[in-house]
Amino acid sequence: MIEVQDLTKQYAGRTAVDHISFKVEPGEIVGFLGPNGAGKSTTMRMLSGYMPPSSGRASVNGHDVFQASMEVRRSVGYMPEMAPLYTDMRVKEYLRFRAELKGLSGKTLRQRVGDVMDQCAITDVRRRLIGNLSKGYRQRVALADALVHQPPLLILDEPTNGLDPVQIRHVRELLKNLGPKHTILLSTHILQEVEAICDRVIMIHQGKIRAMDTPDNLTRKLRAASIVQLELQGKGDFVTLLEALPGVRKATEEGGQDGWILFSLRVEARHDAREAIMDLCLREKWKIRELHWQLPSLEDVFVELATTESAKA
Amino acid sequence: MRIFWVLFKKELRAFFVSPVAYIVLALVMVLSGFSFRAALSVLESAPSEGSIVTWTFHAMWFWLSYFFIFPLLTMRLFAEEKKMGTLETLFTAPVHAWQVVWSKYLAAVFVYCVLWIPSYLNFRFVDWITVGQVEVPAGALKGSYLILLAMGLFNLAIGCFASSLTSNQIIAAVISFTISLLHFLAGLFIMVVGRRVSETFVDIINYFASMEHIRIFTSGLIDTRPLVYYTSFALLFIALTHQVVEFRRWRP
Repeated sequence: MIEVQDLTKQYAGRTAVDHISFKVEPGEIVGFLGPNGAGKSTTMRMLSGYMPPSSGRASVNGHDVFQASMEVRRSVGYMPEMAPLYTDMRVKEYLRFRAELKGLSGKTLRQRVGDVMDQCAITDVRRRLIGNLSKGYRQRVALADALVHQPPLLILDEPTNGLDPVQIRHVRELLKNLGPKHTILLSTHILQEVEAICDRVIMIHQGKIRAMDTPDNLTRKLRAASIVQLELQGKGDFVTLLEALPGVRKATEEGGQDGWILFSLRVEARHDAREAIMDLCLREKWKIRELHWQLPSLEDVFVELATTESAKA
Repeated sequence: MRIFWVLFKKELRAFFVSPVAYIVLALVMVLSGFSFRAALSVLESAPSEGSIVTWTFHAMWFWLSYFFIFPLLTMRLFAEEKKMGTLETLFTAPVHAWQVVWSKYLAAVFVYCVLWIPSYLNFRFVDWITVGQVEVPAGALKGSYLILLAMGLFNLAIGCFASSLTSNQIIAAVISFTISLLHFLAGLFIMVVGRRVSETFVDIINYFASMEHIRIFTSGLIDTRPLVYYTSFALLFIALTHQVVEFRRWRP
């Protein structure tokens, strides 16, 4: 459905997307995962025909995104980041307008507009001005717009951004239930989202693809390391002793205050080292004022992933 | 063509649902009322060779409204969509750039034409109230509205172009106002400098001068040269707008 080869985009002297290649098969739900500014939106904009690639090629449904832009746009339902909408239009009116632009008319148009409003749970606000709607509703109006012409491919840029937890669940269910007729490429920076609905994940960071795998395999990798924060006071060779503990990979001193020293310890997967640390401190007569186990942030994961990937290469 | 109509309807709707069209309409109504009154008082004081139509379109009030209309009608067209990000949704739907540009431009032209209806009613009104005592020459009336339309096409195209350059409506308004004003002043220049320059130079400048065009057309003469001049420049600016809008798709 999507074929991307060596796609590159230079932007204001910066390489936003750097020679990425991937494929999406029909019927797949693929998650684009990455921190803000990773190049997710830029890639999606190129795939939806909004901007041309600097180099490389991409095709959607067999049509080149640059040369056959119209065909591509007809087969893509695109929802941009931040869900830009005409704030002076009413919901139903807006969807009718968009459906007409996408070539629907008459009975099919009425039917489809009604259907997507039901699907996205916005029927109750159909007569309200878009400008007066909350972020969650706007987001769903934009999603309804992407769905209205029943495109074989949906490109959704952060579709659950700004929704409350109930709405997020609703949208995820909706996307999952669209079924095998639709191929979906969605971007997100939320890990659970990918786990919940995607068949495959493409992880992108600083314009490069860092990993491409099923969510299960990937989360196994991601959870490979976690961090323990430790703040203590006392005497001795902290780093060596801490690193000698089972499961602790690396201890780094991260400064201190009023005689307290802050350490962050990189701990191996499923290895809660806190008890061992406690025992060590008691044995060495160190005073503890903080001991905290945290899962690594996505950013940490990316950094780790980036370094391990490049080490492998 | 169907897509064009869908877009055109949407643009017109945007004018008449938001207060923009009504505010401009009110402004033009007030100012054309003033210029009409000014024309009446000219005719009142002494016999004059110009008709009521001539004097209406020579009033200072008319020129005042003339300059405000174009930026007000066009500044929103592209700048707003850029700022709101809706250009992205628009151009990821299967629409061509020319459809977008022409629908926006022609919607502005349509609203512009509506703006002059009250001034036309003024003329009908004077005819009715004085039972034909005041002469409203039909030729002059046709000529006036024809040149107004041509000037509108020209200045609205400039406004459209200005709006496509920026995402800030104020900047768009200032650019279009400045170009329109400079064009007008070039014509006025001759009236100031007078006969101190060579005759050919005067002729060349007069070819561009809006005031000269108004003078000719409001006396009932229909000269095709200004019409060609205005419409061809309008086409040029629309083509430029199209280039600016389409540039996004080509920028590597």
